[in-house]
Amino acid sequence: MEITSGNGFGPFEVFLPIHSAARKPQRQGDDGYPGRLFIVEGIDGSGKSTQLDLLHKWLESKGYGVVFSEWNSSPLVKDTTKFGKKKKMLTAATFSLIHATDFADRTEKSILPLLKAGAVVLCDRYVYTAFARDVARGMDREWVRELYQFAVKPTVAFYFRVPLETAIGRLLDGRNGFKYYEAGMDLDLSDDPAESFRLFQGMILKEYEEMVPEFGLTVIDATLPIEVQQAQVRQIAKTHLDNASNVRVQR
Amino acid sequence: MRQTYGKLLPGMKISDLSGKLIVIEGTDGVGRTTQINLLKPWLEEQGHAVLDTGMTRSPLAGEGIRRAKEGNNLGRVTQSLFYATDFVDRLENEIVPALRSGFIVLTDRYVYSLMARAFVRGMDSKWIRSIYSVALKPDATFYLRLSIDQLIPRVVFSRGFDYWESGMDLYPGRDMYDCFCNYQTALLAEFDRLSEEYKFDVIEASADAEHVFERLKAGIFQVLEADSRKEYISAIDAKTISISAAAGNGKPAPATPTTSGADFELILRSIMAHAANGNGKTAYSHK
Repeated sequence: MEITSGNGFGPFEVFLPIHSAARKPQRQGDDGYPGRLFIVEGIDGSGKSTQLDLLHKWLESKGYGVVFSEWNSSPLVKDTTKFGKKKKMLTAATFSLIHATDFADRTEKSILPLLKAGAVVLCDRYVYTAFARDVARGMDREWVRELYQFAVKPTVAFYFRVPLETAIGRLLDGRNGFKYYEAGMDLDLSDDPAESFRLFQGMILKEYEEMVPEFGLTVIDATLPIEVQQAQVRQIAKTHLDNASNVRVQR
Repeated sequence: MRQTYGKLLPGMKISDLSGKLIVIEGTDGVGRTTQINLLKPWLEEQGHAVLDTGMTRSPLAGEGIRRAKEGNNLGRVTQSLFYATDFVDRLENEIVPALRSGFIVLTDRYVYSLMARAFVRGMDSKWIRSIYSVALKPDATFYLRLSIDQLIPRVVFSRGFDYWESGMDLYPGRDMYDCFCNYQTALLAEFDRLSEEYKFDVIEASADAEHVFERLKAGIFQVLEADSRKEYISAIDAKTISISAAAGNGKPAPATPTTSGADFELILRSIMAHAANGNGKTAYSHK
């Protein structure tokens, strides 16, 4: 199995820098910020969260200062998102904007400052989730990419590639029913939530596949055994931690 | 034909927006709200349906923004996007439906204020402009302008300094007066730049409220004069008169308040004309 390595892009270029009044962060060589940013992407049921969790435990055992940030979790914004979803008042545009707002808060408060401080930051879903979902909802591809220009470019973006039916099979075992926006019910694809979910995930999968070359996502075959995938993830992560001895913390 | 600043949101039809979008812009404390409170009844008196809207009034994000501003941890990028969410929610669910129903939409601030605030906070111009490329171009933008020297006494002696209006998030460590002056001066400079770029109708806000009101009325009157529907509306008026005259000739109007056949036909015609004009949708009311 071939592993696409993500070394085609510099570790921490900000997509489009925001003029900052703050002093430039202390740089370590040409690496930008001293920290490292590893993110996982993939459709629901790809097993990405399991893999990130295992990477997290391994990094901690190696003595790195690790911080985890989840999609849609800003304390300042998530109540608004939850409210909008509950009332089904989100359109494609406001769905996109409120998630960008959430991501901005996490970028400003945790991701960016922690990378400056030298932490290994792990994100479950990143801007690529927004690119896939928002475009599937009908938002303009360029507009959504521009919206997230403030995001820090990840050191490695792991994309867990899985066939639609495999992912849906995994999900159906573990749950009953889908939520309204999760199933893409707002798109009027089907009256049946399970069918709508299937169609929506298919659209998202297509977007992800197009982003692999566009952003140099590191593809992991998510149909392989968990242990094999994790070994690959750790191997790739390790190559990006070689010159990062100062990001280790005493435990 | 109505236009946006470049991008069209999914599902948004703008070909049949027959209402008028009128923007009142200006920095904090120039009297925008006072003027809108005068303009709304004035327009309604003339038979126009009016929707007034303004920043942070969206059902989706208004409350979230208020909560976020109560703390001291609302970042600049987050703030810009939270306001954008609020704006787009109102654009899609209030402004566009109201314009489609033929309303005059009076908006207290528009994307220009949001842009000015973001620019002062160092946000990338291309980034902000891309976000607001989905906004509708208004029919008129009235910019109430006040110099910083005139602004200070108005704010200080009416409501006092506010943390965000003083840009305290930008100039930490200074007192509120210094912050206010720095921040509002920077904002004014941005507004002046935007005023050139977007061809605002500048109104000196140093005059008393009554004079500003007269100036606004004249400006809005021009917008309504240029209304393409005007010819149509006067055609209906002419028809109404001729029908009334015909009814009057046929038989004297009944003394009772019951509707005569001719009156009924007249009402029906005007309703149909209304519907044909894009006003037939459910009447829009602002919460």
